[in-house]
Order: sequence, then C-alpha cells, then structure tokens
Amino acid sequence: MRRHKSVQYLILAVMLLIGGYAVGRSFASSGDVLRPGDKPPSFRLADLQGEAHTLEEYAGNPLILNFWGTFCPPCREEMPALQQQYEAWKDKGLQVVGINLSEDRHRVENFIRRIGVSFPILLDTNRRTERAFGLREYPTTYFIDANGVIRQIVSGPLTIEEIDERVKSLLGSA
Amino acid sequence: MALIQNTKCECGHQNPVGTVLCEACGKPLDEELAASDSVLEMRYDGMARRSQKPHPNLIDRIWNFFSSVRVAVWLILITLVAAALGTIFPQESAFVNLTDPAAYYRENYGTAGAIYHALGLSRTFESWWFITLLVMIGASLVICSLDRVLPLYRALTRQQVRKHLQFITRQQVVYVGPIQGDAEAWTARFAEILRRKRYKVRTDGNALLAEKNRFSRWGPYVIHIGLIVFLLAVLMRGVIPGWYMDEYVGLDDGEIEQIPRTGYFVKSLGFRIDFYSDDELPEHLKGQLRVKQFTTKAVLYECVAYCDDATREPELKEVAAHDIRVNSPLSYRGLRLYQYDFAEAPRLISVRPTLVDKRTGQSYGPFELPMRHPPLTYSVGPFTLELRDSFPEFGLDENGEPVTLSREPNAPAFVFVIKGPGLPEEGVPYLYFPREADRQRFGQDRINGAAAEMFDIRVMSMEDVEFSTYTSYLNVRVDRGMPYVWTGAAITMIGLVMGIYWNHRRIWLRIDDGVLSLGAHTNKNRFGLRAEVAAALAKAGIEVDAKMLDNRRKES
Repeated sequence: MRRHKSVQYLILAVMLLIGGYAVGRSFASSGDVLRPGDKPPSFRLADLQGEAHTLEEYAGNPLILNFWGTFCPPCREEMPALQQQYEAWKDKGLQVVGINLSEDRHRVENFIRRIGVSFPILLDTNRRTERAFGLREYPTTYFIDANGVIRQIVSGPLTIEEIDERVKSLLGSA
Repeated sequence: MALIQNTKCECGHQNPVGTVLCEACGKPLDEELAASDSVLEMRYDGMARRSQKPHPNLIDRIWNFFSSVRVAVWLILITLVAAALGTIFPQESAFVNLTDPAAYYRENYGTAGAIYHALGLSRTFESWWFITLLVMIGASLVICSLDRVLPLYRALTRQQVRKHLQFITRQQVVYVGPIQGDAEAWTARFAEILRRKRYKVRTDGNALLAEKNRFSRWGPYVIHIGLIVFLLAVLMRGVIPGWYMDEYVGLDDGEIEQIPRTGYFVKSLGFRIDFYSDDELPEHLKGQLRVKQFTTKAVLYECVAYCDDATREPELKEVAAHDIRVNSPLSYRGLRLYQYDFAEAPRLISVRPTLVDKRTGQSYGPFELPMRHPPLTYSVGPFTLELRDSFPEFGLDENGEPVTLSREPNAPAFVFVIKGPGLPEEGVPYLYFPREADRQRFGQDRINGAAAEMFDIRVMSMEDVEFSTYTSYLNVRVDRGMPYVWTGAAITMIGLVMGIYWNHRRIWLRIDDGVLSLGAHTNKNRFGLRAEVAAALAKAGIEVDAKMLDNRRKES
C-alpha cells in the first residue's frame, strides 16, 4: 500500500505540473504586445553608418526608444521634440534611439539631415524588430529605465512637455 | 453501509473496505445484499475502487474528487456549455488584424457584443478558466481510469474457479438442475464443449470457470488513454515553442518576405487567377467570371548566413518551390504555406526606362530601376544618374513638402541628379514618376522646369514594365501536435472497437450432490450469451430454452 501511495502522489504531482504550466501559459500568452513592466525584446540593427548596435549597449541609463517612419505624419511631427529633449537631457544620461520602420537608407538619411537629428538612428529591416515589439501604431515610443524595464509606452506623437515629464520620472526612478 | 465493516468473508479471504462481492469466492459481503436474491451488480466485479478507503487525508480527498464519475460528467457538461458560448460570436483569434477588439465587438454586435468581450468570452479557448477545465477533465480521465482499472485488472487476473453458490445463482444467466453420472467427468466434458466455443476454461474438480474476450473490458480504458494523448497533444501545442504557428504573409509578385519568427523567407514568382471558360460553365452561368483556381508560384528560402546581422543582407538558400493552390500548400519540414486570400493591388515591381537627351535627340538605356530598394547610382550612356531620394507613395505634406504616404510602392517617385557631358558639376536634379498617371497628376515636367527641357526619362514600351496585379496572402502554419492528435484519435478508435465489437463472457458452474448450478455474465449482449449457454448445455444433453435462462424473469 505504501508503494501505491507514492505512485498516487507522483501522478498527482505530474498532473499538477503539466496542468499548472498549461494554465500559467494561458495568462502569459495574451498576445505578443509589450506592456509596461516587460523587458523589450533584444535586437541587433545597423545605424546609418552601417555599424551594428544591440539593445544591450544602452543598458545602465534611461532610454527612449522611438519607432518612426518618414511615411507617418505624427512621426515627422514629433521628431524635433525628441531631438530637443535629447539635447536637454543627454548630459544627465538620457539616451534616445530612433528605429526606422524598414525604409530605404537614403530616405532616412534625407529626413534626418533635414530635421537635424543627432541621436542615433537604427534601421529595421523586413519589419522584423517592429514585429518583435508587437507594434500596432506609429509612432510608438518606449520609455525604458536604467534597469532595462519598460516604464511607459506611448502610441502617437509626443510634445516636448510630455517627453519632459516622462524623462524626469525616468531619471528620478533610476 | 456500516461505518466499520467486517470485510472478512466466510471463505477466509480478507477483503479491502468497500468490497461488494468477496474477491475470492464472490459471496455478497453486505448483509442486506446477501439476504436478498436480486441479480448481482457485477460492476468492477464487486471490487473496492482505489478511492474507497477509510480516513481519507487531503491528497486522498483530491484523488476521490477526480475519481468520481459524477464530477467527470459535470466537468464535461460545463466545458460543453463554455465551448458553446465561445461560438456565439467569432473569437478574437479568428481575426488577422484586430487592433481594438473591444470596439470591434461593440460596433458589430451591439451591447451583447460589448458584454461578450467584457466577460472574456471573445477569448474563451485561450482563457485560463477554459484551460483549467480541460486540465481538470484530463485529471479526471487519468484518475477515474486508474481508480477502476487497477482493481478490475487484479480481480480478473486472480479469479478463483470455485465460486460461492449465491454468486453463481444470482448472475444474469442461470441454470440449476440435476445431472447424471460422475460430477468431475461431466465437468470435463462440458469444459471441452466450451473450449470449442473458444472459451478459456479452468476447472477445479467439479467446479468450472470459462471465459472469453476479456480484452474487451480494457476498451474504455484504451479510449481514455487515447483521449489523454489527444488532450496532451493539444495542450503541448500551445506550450512548446515552435510547435504551433499561425501567421499571414502578404506578397506582391516578385516580392520576398521573411516569415515572422522563423529563419525562412518566401518569395512569390507570381499570383494568378484562372477563370472557367464559357464552354466549361452551365448555360445560366455563361458569360460570367467564375474562379477556377488561385495559384501563387512560391519559392521558400532558408537563411543560412547573416540571419541576425543587421548590417548585411541575409544569405538565402532555396529549399522548396511549389505552386500553392487552395488545399495544395507548400510544405517543408512541418511548415505549411496555404493560399489564404488575395487583393487586387496593382503595383510596379520594376521599370526599364530610357534617358532621352532632348538637346541632341539621342536616347540612352534602358536601365533597370526596381521599386523596392533601388540602387544609388546608374550609368546610362555618357551620363550618371545618382539617386538622391525616393518616395514609394509620393505625396505632399501640409507644408507642400514632398513626402511618402506609405512604405508600399503605390505611386513611386525618384529624385535623380543627372551628371555628365554639358551639365554643371553638381548635376541637374530630375524628379521621375514611373507611372504615367502620377506623372500627369503631380506634373512631372512642371516640377522639373528647365531640366524637363533638357531630359526626359520614360518607359518606351510595356515590355519594359514589370508589375504585380495582385497581392497574394499566404497563411503560414506549423502544427507539430497533429501527429499526436491523430495518434490519440487512433488509440481512441481502437478502444472503441475493442469495447463495442467484442464482449466479455464468463460462465461459472459447480456441481453439488448431483445438482448443477451454472451462472453466466457478460457486459453486453445477454441474448447472445444465453443462446450460447443453451447450445452448450444441449450438447451436454440438457435441453433448455434460452429464454428460460434469464434470471431477471423471476423478478418481474
């Protein structure tokens, strides 16, 4: 009878394990859209000079990650605000990175030159990074703290004030 | 039933608590049952189930909960109702691109839709509570089966030949009557008759046990194993990465796209719609366009190098090619690409324009200009064209600045700087619209001004234009759980056949002082068993009407 008992426990334990895992997954797999509190998926993308950069390079300091394209009017609108805030806060450790939405390099270069953007611009290809982030709208901006955790996600254009407020909270929490 | 039950039988066998019929001799243990003469309930051969034990602790209680058939029936009913609710409106997962589900359900199905979404029923089949129900059904299947199959197995493998008289005479099929001659010789002769009827027979002096098709008793448990395999396969599909994928890829002719989250790329060499010709159509449909076939000529590539290197183009190797038609997917190592949809979206793929020097009347070229990822420089005769900017869908923003409205080449425009003989050092800028309609709409010559006086870039014939009429949508699926789902289904079917097409028949007899007592039991088709017993008795010289063997007739 003792042997039966341990078999009984084993069966229950295995079922609890499999069942628990399956049920647990049903909480997690509610789509691949990122939420505040998540860590963004890693990427490796080329900048305009053709040099590769990874997400890990930006760890340790707050980061604004902005997905944009020249075909999207609100993206074009908010670009000067991002540039302005980058200049204002970069000495405090703020990093701003713009990820272009898989357009041709010369398109991106022309636009960047015209606006006078000085923060790094990375080029997505084949919409891969965009998909990994589960992007639904353009532009989408991720405010990531020094620990690499997403604090806020904003879809749509940001004004200088809106960025300022969020950067202050990012730097404050670091 | 008394709380403390005497489980020791008069034959001397010590039975576990909950036993109905003595494990050894089959005598009814319950006093009330022993006093009556009703037909015995032979379920699980009267064995105690695993869960029937005194003083259950917490683990036992959990075990007992899942071992209950009543609980199993409730679980199945609740799951059925939940699954039915999940089909009232389409599930969220049925949509390819649903950005705001709440709004969608509200707009399309009104208040009911809003409530449906708010309750989470629009995601029924992925919800934690539905998965919990499935897991509980799985647990119930396993525990219900184990709780019954082990005692049953034990009972059937340790059967004693000589049974209690009450056990024999209270079976469904019973015969009691005198016999002539030696009891042991009669038993041996009857054993031979039963063997010829493919019974496995054991004798113990003047007692006999004949049995056939015992395996049919395992049918229900084989069904349960099949269902468990089935359930596990479905659960694993959602759990193990790479086991299940359901993605969509839209391709223009000639376009190549990466299949999301894989190292594979798919290229369309062209999408085609074939229509039925008039002589293939019945009279009333003649002259109408009826689709016969959708075909995407597709090539599948695998990335072999620089797959994650953003600074280089990935190196691709062709691994499969197929003309994808409805129900004829491209299939490669578990990856399947199905024809899913198409859209009429005329788009340029590339043009081969000619550069005309209006000053001399000379024309140069043609040169190849792809709409996607165009090269930056072009040598055309003595001239060099440098690409300064390109707009997949040309338009003007609110300030009148040229912008692209999308990433798709719907209205492509190219800004070249032409350099060469007789031109200033810095070159002459020239805006080129490959599509004639755009050229007129945006006024190419007006924008180019003086440059339009010197040059013209245009396509000379339709042969120099490559375009795509349709966007083909492919459904990319991976479902590695399917073989296991089929295995589970096959096992279930085997169990079903085992349990339904065969039935377990047993005959017990003993001869006491020249009186034969015979009892027989089956789980199905008692009529067949009665006929078989009557035929065997006839061969042994006892003529009896099969109907007269039915023990239940006494009750009515």
